[in-house]
Amino acid sequence: MTELSVDRRELEGIVLLYPRGFINAHTVRLFESAIQEALDEGRYRIVVSGAELKYIASAGLGAIMGVVEEIRTNGGDIRLAELNETVQNICDILGFNHLYRIFPSEMEAILSFREGGETGSPPA
Amino acid sequence: MSERRPVLVLRVPSRTEFLAAIRDVTRRMAEIAGFDGAQSDQLALAVDEASTNVIKHAYAGAGDRRIEIRFEARGDELRVEVVDDGKPVDPRAVPQVDLRRYASERRTGGLGVHLMGRIMDRVTFRRSGRSNVCCMVKRKPAADRGAAP
Repeated sequence: MTELSVDRRELEGIVLLYPRGFINAHTVRLFESAIQEALDEGRYRIVVSGAELKYIASAGLGAIMGVVEEIRTNGGDIRLAELNETVQNICDILGFNHLYRIFPSEMEAILSFREGGETGSPPA
Repeated sequence: MSERRPVLVLRVPSRTEFLAAIRDVTRRMAEIAGFDGAQSDQLALAVDEASTNVIKHAYAGAGDRRIEIRFEARGDELRVEVVDDGKPVDPRAVPQVDLRRYASERRTGGLGVHLMGRIMDRVTFRRSGRSNVCCMVKRKPAADRGAAP
């Protein structure tokens, strides 16, 4: 069984990434490539929709941290949605919720880009 | 029976494709020790991070070495030791994590150790002979104590 796959679709100019499985040091390059592909296309509005993401280690969180400045500098943002309890707990432990906007549903994450608040960390 | 000894020892090659096996065994050991599903997931993450650090730092990516993981369920705690015979690791060299600064500087190093420290009750590093030993201890929450087999 493949440990990780990352599907992609686009909606209203937003790139939606669907990691399915486990992101750790072994699989993180696939996740990084999916993000980088969007950036190479000049697409800086990204939602990582994690309904099928079972687990993420620091390598995966580091992959997001490694690109967020570039994304925000270009007027976009990378937002997370539909995280399961395990992944949400990891984000909480690291304090990711202070750096990234995390939404209960994918639709809320998509709609948040319409609000005009394209860039930046969540409110303190 | 006061002698401390591991109840299970896992030896795997120092390659990242074995992280899934490490995670699965750790999770199962945590459940056997009486931790719930969410706690077991977090323990699996901590051991994944420690093993990843061994591969990246102690072995500098070499895939032909060994990682030994010793599990010991004892009373109301689970002790996990991750052992390698790579180059000595100085835990003082691990940077303190400041997420906001990290993001702005595109740094990611030290996140794994930071996570380990947040998940476990105790994380220590020591040199034993020619080995590095990362010892992690997690106690069950008070309400769960006594639930272990």
